[in-house]
Amino acid sequence: MRGRRRREMPHREELIITSLVDIALCLVLGFMVSMPAFIESGIFVTSPSVSRGGAAGAQAAAPADDIKVNIFLADDGRIFLNEEAVTKDYLIKTLPALLARSADRKVIVGTDFNVIYDRVINVLDWAKQAGAGQLCLLRRARA
Amino acid sequence: MVANHNIDVLPLAAIGLILVILMVIMAPMVTTHANTAVDVPAAHTEERDVEEDIAVTLTKDGHLYLNDAEISPTDLVEKLKNELAKDPYKLTVIRGDKDVLHVDVLEILAACRKAGALRMACATRQDTSHVY
Repeated sequence: MRGRRRREMPHREELIITSLVDIALCLVLGFMVSMPAFIESGIFVTSPSVSRGGAAGAQAAAPADDIKVNIFLADDGRIFLNEEAVTKDYLIKTLPALLARSADRKVIVGTDFNVIYDRVINVLDWAKQAGAGQLCLLRRARA
Repeated sequence: MVANHNIDVLPLAAIGLILVILMVIMAPMVTTHANTAVDVPAAHTEERDVEEDIAVTLTKDGHLYLNDAEISPTDLVEKLKNELAKDPYKLTVIRGDKDVLHVDVLEILAACRKAGALRMACATRQDTSHVY
């Protein structure tokens, strides 16, 4: 009996790292899944000029015959695409086709004075998802 | 006796793991200055990676922060100029609360331009809702 017990001793002192590896893997997976929610991302933007009424300057830089994508957000929730009132669904559907035919894929976004920032970011997001290149934020009210 | 010849790697592995996890958590905090709590808008687009940046934060109640230090709007251009003096291509991130007025964000954007910023981004968080 004594001899057998001694022989088993080294076996009993072996490390059991399975649980450690389990916990570590769970932590790593948890971090991988939750990190994107904590780390902020962003959308690159530009502004055409510091002064008000910069729309003319922004359009002059593009080729004259290029398809322009001007989006305007009004205070009352309406969306204007190239001066025409459109619905959100129509805008999302039309933007990829418009941008595909545009040479510089530039989207110019103007707003009224009481538009909430979240709405503008939504529009920028739609534009980027539709393949927009440069996003210009205008400081001007609709003429 | 046999056990004495083996190196006990358990504490080493544990400490190593804790260090790795701490670094993973700390790295974005150290580099991105996104520590002022603000509810940035959600978006599907993710253009910006973690890189050293200048963060201009506009909270819901109208307070303005530059790199997590509160400043007055009149000082913004001057302080941004100092930050951008070394590298105008340093990313300037505008962290606006989703409920602020867009014109206020445009003021910050204009200030960034005035200070000479060449790369600007609006901070967003990942939108986990459906992708259209």
